[in-house]
Amino acid sequence: MAERLGNNLKDIRGELGLTQAQLAEAVGVTRKTINTVENGVFVPSTLLALKIARALDRPVEEIFAISPD
Amino acid sequence: MSNNSTVEQAERLSRRRARMLPFLAIIYLTQQATFFAGDAPPGVRDVDHVKIGAWLVLSLVLLLAIATNGFWFQRREIRELIDDENTRANRASAMSFGFIAGMLAAMALYLLNQFEPVATHEAIHIILSAGLGAALLRFGFLERRAHRDG
Repeated sequence: MAERLGNNLKDIRGELGLTQAQLAEAVGVTRKTINTVENGVFVPSTLLALKIARALDRPVEEIFAISPD
Repeated sequence: MSNNSTVEQAERLSRRRARMLPFLAIIYLTQQATFFAGDAPPGVRDVDHVKIGAWLVLSLVLLLAIATNGFWFQRREIRELIDDENTRANRASAMSFGFIAGMLAAMALYLLNQFEPVATHEAIHIILSAGLGAALLRFGFLERRAHRDG
């Protein structure tokens, strides 16, 4: 079965009251990158996933998880 | 300049590039029509040398822009921000797409040459245009899609 990387980025960002632009600035990427990660269009590298987790102050596995396609 | 304005500026430039790329690709590809439309073989008249020179310069600029991310006259922080992870992935995908398009064009020309002779300069022109044009279109498509659904 094919698997993909799912994420709760949008929900967690919403809980914290952050816009895509604010999160992008905290991580050091453009809003476009946050947008594509949220929509599942782009699978981030481990480095970027860890940076996002750090910016949101959450463990990385709380944000990203393997989900069936 | 504040960090916020650096991010905003990078975002603005990135959006502008996403909007411009498909138009650049179309301009570049339609320019090929004028190259092949002439009656005399290219390179015979003085004006052909100018035309070929302009095409070569444009090809080189576009190739460098797509290979190096462009924005050569912007500050380093902005350049690095525009060329973030998603953009690098899109560029890699576009370069790969362009390579495949160039190879397919070369194969098609090789096959065509069995039935009708193709001049060397025409073959080079077509392969380069196919590769670069396809890469530009692909990069433009991926960047526009990445900016959507915000």
